[in-house]
Amino acid sequence: MKTRLLPAFLFALGVLFLFFPILIVAPMSFSGDRFLGFPPKSWGFIWYEAYFSDPVWLAATWRSLRVAAMAGLIAALAGTAGVVGLAKLPTRWRAGVTGLLLAPAIVPNVIVALGVFILALRFGSTDSEATLVLAHAAIGLPFVVMIVGAAYRQTDPTLEKAARVFGAGPLRAFWTATVPPLAPAILAAFIFAFFVSFDELVIALFLMGGSETLPVRIWNDLRFEINPTIAAISTFFVVVTALAMGLAESLRARATRRQGNH
Amino acid sequence: MRFANRLTLLPAVLLALAMFAVPVGFVLAEAVFTPELSLAHFERFFARPAYLSIFRNTLFVSAVVAGICLVLGYPMALFIVSQPPRRRPLLLFLVLVPLWMSILVRTYAWMVVLGREGIVNGALQWLGLIGEPLTLMFTTGAVYVAMVQILLPIMVVTCYTAMTEIDPGLVRAARVCGASPFAAFRKVFLPLSLEGAVTGWSVIFILSMGFFIVPALVGGRRDVLLGNMIVNQVGQANWGFAGALAIVLLVSTVLLLALVRLIIGRFLYSPREMQA
Repeated sequence: MKTRLLPAFLFALGVLFLFFPILIVAPMSFSGDRFLGFPPKSWGFIWYEAYFSDPVWLAATWRSLRVAAMAGLIAALAGTAGVVGLAKLPTRWRAGVTGLLLAPAIVPNVIVALGVFILALRFGSTDSEATLVLAHAAIGLPFVVMIVGAAYRQTDPTLEKAARVFGAGPLRAFWTATVPPLAPAILAAFIFAFFVSFDELVIALFLMGGSETLPVRIWNDLRFEINPTIAAISTFFVVVTALAMGLAESLRARATRRQGNH
Repeated sequence: MRFANRLTLLPAVLLALAMFAVPVGFVLAEAVFTPELSLAHFERFFARPAYLSIFRNTLFVSAVVAGICLVLGYPMALFIVSQPPRRRPLLLFLVLVPLWMSILVRTYAWMVVLGREGIVNGALQWLGLIGEPLTLMFTTGAVYVAMVQILLPIMVVTCYTAMTEIDPGLVRAARVCGASPFAAFRKVFLPLSLEGAVTGWSVIFILSMGFFIVPALVGGRRDVLLGNMIVNQVGQANWGFAGALAIVLLVSTVLLLALVRLIIGRFLYSPREMQA
């Protein structure tokens, strides 16, 4: 019995270590104290009020949401179309193109950020939300290709062929036979790409001189002081992320499982 | 029709070219052509002991963080695999949840935890173990703790995936043939899971090489990594030198990984042949 308990105990310690930061930050965000301390001496919502009443924080939040939504959408659409295109590519081309689409996940963001920044300087498109959206879409792309690609490989190609045999045009066959089973994976991929953008710091840091995204605002704030408002923002952030990622993960898992049963 | 099929690749390929491949190409060009064609930026980097020590530090910290993650993550993955299959997704989920928290948020949390008035110091003082608060923030130790906390889930998942692909019958066969549980683990399970462990180490190593948030916020003045240097150089508008640093980062990562594959590959393939 002893030998069975020890691994469980060590595993629990590991999980505790992983959860430790949020276990600290969440209670602190409800502190009523003016200064940071643990445990808080009084409780309240003053840091949430500070966040929701500060136009600078709110503007940064909206900008991040807007950029992430557009980047996620572009990545999900381009990536899904890309997965379908990849499957129909001759084998000798496939590895190279897949590599190109997946590489942004491996190359450090700071390198991509520097390149996008240099390019944007040349074309005078710094401080442009459109450039930021496209750059974020590119670093979200690998996740879409991986998630939708895994689901696509498990779809039954005879479905689309059957639709064609029964007289559907290629587009209609694709839309009615291939897309529906992929829908949960596409949605999950969108959520992942959304958060890749929502959480991205360095590209936005280089590119957006005047208009900060939420991570840039947090970064600029943290370098000078540990502001308790960030505890409130962080907790809010974590709850929203956990809910969305939980949804994405269950969608992805269900999509894979359902198709595995064919 | 075939043309139309390939056309669906166009948006993704254009996006990856315009926002990834071309920009990275520009980084290389900037490093070599600014202000004129020369390797001056690289010479400057390799001639200054201060820069070289940052380079060595980046390699060292990344290797050690990946190593600590392996030591902590492998047993955690092993525990999940040892559980009944119905319970595994929940345990994996527990490990994965922290991965969804922003790196900035998690680093902020460590700033709160490790600060002079932070809870570690608070608890130690309350227990009477220390009189004065310890300096935990702005230390190399803080960088390790925060980086390991951020990257550990990735190691657990990589090891877990590799372990689920091992046929449990092999371990059972070893036991039936008289091997002790430890011998069965060491001679059968461990070699078969080694490729996953090396992959996990490599992935964490790559990710660590590009880190800059954690060292900038919880590290001391000596804990600067290449990523921090690149960000600082961009801040000072030295794009040519920043480009050279980026190239050093990229090339050294690729070379080191190739080296690891080469060395490890030698004894990685023998268990595979055993399996076949």
